[in-house]
Amino acid sequence: MGAIGRMRVRLPSRIAPGDLVRVRVLIIHPMERVERDAQDRIIERPYNYIDRMVVEYRGRTILTVDTTQGVSENPAFTFSVRATDPGPLTVTFTDTSGQTYAQTVHIRFS
Amino acid sequence: MPRQTMSRRQALAALGALGAAAAGGLTPPRTASAAGLGRHETVEAALARLFGGRPMKDGTGIVTLELPAIAENGAVVPMAVEVNAPMTPARHVKHIYVIADRNRIPVVLRAVFTPEAGHAALAANIRLGETGDVRAIVEQSDGSLLAVKRAVQVTVSGCGG
Repeated sequence: MGAIGRMRVRLPSRIAPGDLVRVRVLIIHPMERVERDAQDRIIERPYNYIDRMVVEYRGRTILTVDTTQGVSENPAFTFSVRATDPGPLTVTFTDTSGQTYAQTVHIRFS
Repeated sequence: MPRQTMSRRQALAALGALGAAAAGGLTPPRTASAAGLGRHETVEAALARLFGGRPMKDGTGIVTLELPAIAENGAVVPMAVEVNAPMTPARHVKHIYVIADRNRIPVVLRAVFTPEAGHAALAANIRLGETGDVRAIVEQSDGSLLAVKRAVQVTVSGCGG
Protein backbone atom coordinates (compact mmCIF):
# COMPACT_ATOMS: atom_id res chain seq x y z
CA MET A 1 0.00 0.00 0.00
CA GLY A 2 1.29 3.40 -0.91
CA ALA A 3 0.06 6.89 -0.23
CA ILE A 4 -2.78 8.23 -2.36
CA GLY A 5 -1.41 10.07 -5.33
CA ARG A 6 1.96 8.36 -5.51
CA MET A 7 2.56 7.93 -9.21
CA ARG A 8 5.04 6.69 -11.76
CA VAL A 9 5.43 7.63 -15.42
CA ARG A 10 7.63 5.28 -17.43
CA LEU A 11 9.20 5.78 -20.83
CA PRO A 12 11.10 3.25 -22.94
CA SER A 13 14.83 3.28 -22.21
CA ARG A 14 15.75 4.25 -25.78
CA ILE A 15 13.87 6.79 -27.84
CA ALA A 16 14.78 7.88 -31.38
CA PRO A 17 13.45 11.01 -33.09
CA GLY A 18 10.03 10.34 -34.62
CA ASP A 19 9.37 7.23 -32.55
CA LEU A 20 5.89 6.41 -31.40
CA VAL A 21 6.67 6.16 -27.70
CA ARG A 22 4.60 4.01 -25.36
CA VAL A 23 4.14 5.74 -22.02
CA ARG A 24 3.00 3.79 -18.97
CA VAL A 25 1.42 5.58 -16.03
CA LEU A 26 0.47 4.19 -12.64
CA ILE A 27 -1.12 6.05 -9.73
CA ILE A 28 -2.06 4.89 -6.25
CA HIS A 29 -5.70 5.86 -5.72
CA PRO A 30 -8.73 4.13 -4.13
CA MET A 31 -11.14 5.06 -6.99
CA GLU A 32 -13.98 4.75 -4.47
CA ARG A 33 -16.97 2.79 -5.69
CA VAL A 34 -20.57 3.81 -5.04
CA GLU A 35 -21.75 2.01 -1.91
CA ARG A 36 -25.24 0.69 -1.34
CA ASP A 37 -27.21 -0.06 1.79
CA ALA A 38 -28.97 -3.35 2.64
CA GLN A 39 -31.94 -2.32 0.48
CA ASP A 40 -29.60 -1.74 -2.47
CA ARG A 41 -30.13 2.00 -2.28
CA ILE A 42 -27.21 4.22 -3.21
CA ILE A 43 -25.55 5.80 -0.19
CA GLU A 44 -25.35 9.47 -1.11
CA ARG A 45 -22.00 10.92 -0.16
CA PRO A 46 -19.07 12.36 -2.06
CA TYR A 47 -16.99 9.58 -3.57
CA ASN A 48 -13.34 10.19 -4.22
CA TYR A 49 -12.19 8.96 -7.60
CA ILE A 50 -9.95 10.27 -10.36
CA ASP A 51 -12.06 11.96 -13.01
CA ARG A 52 -9.34 13.26 -15.31
CA MET A 53 -5.88 12.55 -16.62
CA VAL A 54 -4.15 15.18 -18.78
CA VAL A 55 -0.99 14.51 -20.78
CA GLU A 56 1.12 17.47 -21.92
CA TYR A 57 4.13 17.18 -24.21
CA ARG A 58 6.34 20.22 -24.67
CA GLY A 59 3.66 22.39 -23.10
CA ARG A 60 0.79 21.23 -25.32
CA THR A 61 -2.05 18.98 -24.23
CA ILE A 62 -2.02 15.91 -26.43
CA LEU A 63 -4.41 13.63 -24.56
CA THR A 64 -7.13 14.03 -21.94
CA VAL A 65 -8.89 11.04 -20.42
CA ASP A 66 -12.11 11.65 -18.49
CA THR A 67 -12.63 8.74 -16.14
CA THR A 68 -15.46 7.38 -14.00
CA GLN A 69 -15.67 4.83 -11.21
CA GLY A 70 -15.51 2.19 -13.94
CA VAL A 71 -11.72 2.47 -13.83
CA SER A 72 -9.95 0.13 -11.40
CA GLU A 73 -8.36 1.05 -8.10
CA ASN A 74 -4.74 2.16 -8.55
CA PRO A 75 -5.31 3.02 -12.21
CA ALA A 76 -2.77 2.05 -14.84
CA PHE A 77 -2.81 3.66 -18.27
CA THR A 78 -0.74 3.18 -21.41
CA PHE A 79 -0.82 5.61 -24.32
CA SER A 80 1.38 6.69 -27.25
CA VAL A 81 3.20 9.90 -28.00
CA ARG A 82 5.01 10.79 -31.23
CA ALA A 83 8.43 11.93 -30.01
CA THR A 84 9.16 14.71 -32.47
CA ASP A 85 11.52 16.73 -30.26
CA PRO A 86 13.17 16.40 -26.87
CA GLY A 87 11.12 17.93 -24.11
CA PRO A 88 9.07 17.44 -20.97
CA LEU A 89 6.06 15.15 -20.76
CA THR A 90 3.75 15.87 -17.84
CA VAL A 91 0.92 13.67 -16.64
CA THR A 92 -1.60 15.28 -14.26
CA PHE A 93 -4.45 13.52 -12.47
CA THR A 94 -7.37 15.25 -10.77
CA ASP A 95 -9.74 13.54 -8.36
CA THR A 96 -13.20 14.46 -7.12
CA SER A 97 -11.81 15.63 -3.77
CA GLY A 98 -10.12 18.44 -5.72
CA GLN A 99 -6.60 17.09 -5.36
CA THR A 100 -4.20 17.05 -8.30
CA TYR A 101 -1.19 14.79 -8.73
CA ALA A 102 1.45 15.40 -11.40
CA GLN A 103 4.72 14.00 -12.59
CA THR A 104 7.04 15.15 -15.36
CA VAL A 105 9.48 13.00 -17.31
CA HIS A 106 11.80 14.12 -20.08
CA ILE A 107 11.89 12.74 -23.59
CA ARG A 108 15.53 12.59 -24.66
CA PHE A 109 17.03 10.97 -27.71
CA SER A 110 19.78 8.43 -27.28
CA MET B 1 0.81 4.62 23.92
CA PRO B 2 -0.43 4.30 20.34
CA ARG B 3 -1.40 7.61 18.91
CA GLN B 4 -4.95 8.15 17.71
CA THR B 5 -4.83 7.99 13.92
CA MET B 6 -7.43 9.26 11.49
CA SER B 7 -9.55 6.65 9.79
CA ARG B 8 -9.53 6.70 6.03
CA ARG B 9 -13.11 8.01 6.07
CA GLN B 10 -12.19 10.89 8.35
CA ALA B 11 -9.15 11.66 6.25
CA LEU B 12 -11.24 11.75 3.10
CA ALA B 13 -13.90 13.88 4.74
CA ALA B 14 -11.18 16.31 5.78
CA LEU B 15 -9.81 16.30 2.25
CA GLY B 16 -13.28 16.96 0.87
CA ALA B 17 -13.77 19.84 3.27
CA LEU B 18 -10.41 21.27 2.24
CA GLY B 19 -11.41 20.97 -1.39
CA ALA B 20 -14.71 22.70 -0.75
CA ALA B 21 -12.98 25.44 1.21
CA ALA B 22 -10.45 25.94 -1.54
CA ALA B 23 -13.06 25.97 -4.29
CA GLY B 24 -13.78 29.60 -3.46
CA GLY B 25 -10.61 30.87 -5.02
CA LEU B 26 -7.49 28.81 -4.52
CA THR B 27 -8.05 25.95 -6.94
CA PRO B 28 -8.38 26.70 -10.64
CA PRO B 29 -11.93 26.30 -11.92
CA ARG B 30 -12.70 22.76 -13.01
CA THR B 31 -13.91 22.31 -16.51
CA ALA B 32 -17.39 20.89 -16.49
CA SER B 33 -16.92 18.39 -19.29
CA ALA B 34 -16.05 15.49 -16.99
CA ALA B 35 -18.97 16.21 -14.67
CA GLY B 36 -21.74 13.73 -15.20
CA LEU B 37 -19.81 11.47 -17.57
CA GLY B 38 -20.46 8.51 -15.30
CA ARG B 39 -24.09 8.18 -14.30
CA HIS B 40 -26.37 5.46 -13.03
CA GLU B 41 -28.23 4.69 -16.24
CA THR B 42 -28.85 1.99 -18.78
CA VAL B 43 -26.43 1.56 -21.64
CA GLU B 44 -29.20 2.66 -24.02
CA ALA B 45 -29.61 5.89 -22.05
CA ALA B 46 -25.84 6.44 -22.03
CA LEU B 47 -25.59 5.95 -25.81
CA ALA B 48 -28.54 8.27 -26.41
CA ARG B 49 -27.03 10.89 -24.10
CA LEU B 50 -23.56 10.77 -25.69
CA PHE B 51 -24.38 10.16 -29.33
CA GLY B 52 -28.04 11.14 -29.70
CA GLY B 53 -28.96 8.39 -32.11
CA ARG B 54 -26.28 9.25 -34.69
CA PRO B 55 -25.50 6.35 -37.01
CA MET B 56 -22.59 4.10 -36.02
CA LYS B 57 -20.57 2.04 -38.42
CA ASP B 58 -18.91 -1.24 -37.63
CA GLY B 59 -15.32 -0.36 -36.78
CA THR B 60 -13.93 -3.87 -37.30
CA GLY B 61 -10.59 -3.66 -39.10
CA ILE B 62 -9.98 -0.07 -37.98
CA VAL B 63 -10.67 -0.20 -34.25
CA THR B 64 -9.04 -2.93 -32.18
CA LEU B 65 -10.46 -3.61 -28.73
CA GLU B 66 -8.58 -6.12 -26.62
CA LEU B 67 -10.15 -7.66 -23.54
CA PRO B 68 -9.90 -11.11 -22.00
CA ALA B 69 -12.76 -13.45 -22.97
CA ILE B 70 -12.95 -14.52 -19.33
CA ALA B 71 -12.21 -12.03 -16.54
CA GLU B 72 -11.77 -13.88 -13.27
CA ASN B 73 -11.55 -10.66 -11.29
CA GLY B 74 -13.99 -8.00 -12.47
CA ALA B 75 -12.21 -5.38 -10.34
CA VAL B 76 -9.18 -5.34 -12.63
CA VAL B 77 -9.77 -6.17 -16.28
CA PRO B 78 -7.06 -5.15 -18.75
CA MET B 79 -8.55 -3.23 -21.66
CA ALA B 80 -6.67 -1.89 -24.69
CA VAL B 81 -8.13 0.03 -27.59
CA GLU B 82 -6.32 1.19 -30.68
CA VAL B 83 -7.45 2.96 -33.85
CA ASN B 84 -5.56 2.42 -37.09
CA ALA B 85 -6.39 5.72 -38.70
CA PRO B 86 -4.27 8.73 -39.62
CA MET B 87 -3.83 11.46 -37.04
CA THR B 88 -3.56 14.62 -39.11
CA PRO B 89 -5.05 18.02 -38.27
CA ALA B 90 -7.49 17.54 -41.17
CA ARG B 91 -8.63 14.09 -40.12
CA HIS B 92 -8.02 12.42 -36.80
CA VAL B 93 -9.55 10.46 -33.99
CA LYS B 94 -11.22 12.91 -31.61
CA HIS B 95 -12.70 10.67 -28.95
CA ILE B 96 -12.63 7.07 -27.83
CA TYR B 97 -15.39 6.05 -25.42
CA VAL B 98 -15.24 2.80 -23.48
CA ILE B 99 -18.63 1.60 -22.34
CA ALA B 100 -19.43 -1.51 -20.30
CA ASP B 101 -23.02 -2.48 -21.09
CA ARG B 102 -23.75 -4.28 -17.83
CA ASN B 103 -22.10 -1.86 -15.41
CA ARG B 104 -24.50 0.18 -13.30
CA ILE B 105 -22.46 3.18 -14.44
CA PRO B 106 -21.87 2.12 -18.05
CA VAL B 107 -19.48 4.86 -19.22
CA VAL B 108 -15.96 3.87 -18.14
CA LEU B 109 -13.90 6.57 -19.81
CA ARG B 110 -13.63 9.04 -22.64
CA ALA B 111 -10.23 9.72 -24.19
CA VAL B 112 -9.86 13.03 -26.04
CA PHE B 113 -7.03 12.99 -28.58
CA THR B 114 -5.26 15.72 -30.50
CA PRO B 115 -3.35 15.09 -33.76
CA GLU B 116 -0.06 15.64 -31.87
CA ALA B 117 -0.62 12.32 -30.07
CA GLY B 118 0.36 10.71 -33.37
CA HIS B 119 -1.63 7.57 -32.68
CA ALA B 120 -4.99 6.97 -31.00
CA ALA B 121 -4.36 4.18 -28.50
CA LEU B 122 -5.13 3.75 -24.85
CA ALA B 123 -4.88 0.88 -22.39
CA ALA B 124 -6.35 0.90 -18.89
CA ASN B 125 -7.50 -1.43 -16.14
CA ILE B 126 -11.27 -1.28 -15.86
CA ARG B 127 -14.01 -2.66 -13.62
CA LEU B 128 -16.74 -4.95 -14.91
CA GLY B 129 -19.80 -5.62 -12.77
CA GLU B 130 -21.03 -8.69 -14.60
CA THR B 131 -20.79 -10.71 -17.78
CA GLY B 132 -21.65 -8.70 -20.85
CA ASP B 133 -20.43 -6.65 -23.76
CA VAL B 134 -17.82 -3.92 -23.60
CA ARG B 135 -17.86 -1.40 -26.44
CA ALA B 136 -15.34 1.02 -27.81
CA ILE B 137 -16.91 3.86 -29.75
CA VAL B 138 -14.61 6.09 -31.79
CA GLU B 139 -15.63 9.56 -32.87
CA GLN B 140 -13.54 11.01 -35.70
CA SER B 141 -12.96 14.68 -36.40
CA ASP B 142 -15.57 14.62 -39.17
CA GLY B 143 -18.14 13.43 -36.63
CA SER B 144 -18.41 9.86 -37.90
CA LEU B 145 -18.73 7.08 -35.33
CA LEU B 146 -17.15 3.63 -35.39
CA ALA B 147 -18.09 0.97 -32.87
CA VAL B 148 -16.72 -2.42 -31.88
CA LYS B 149 -17.61 -4.70 -28.99
CA ARG B 150 -16.26 -7.68 -27.11
CA ALA B 151 -18.12 -10.07 -24.85
CA VAL B 152 -16.44 -10.62 -21.49
CA GLN B 153 -17.41 -13.33 -19.04
CA VAL B 154 -16.93 -12.04 -15.50
CA THR B 155 -16.36 -14.57 -12.73
CA VAL B 156 -16.22 -12.22 -9.72
CA SER B 157 -17.96 -8.83 -9.97
CA GLY B 158 -15.77 -5.76 -9.83
CA CYS B 159 -18.45 -3.21 -9.10
CA GLY B 160 -20.28 -2.14 -6.02
CA GLY B 161 -21.98 0.60 -7.99
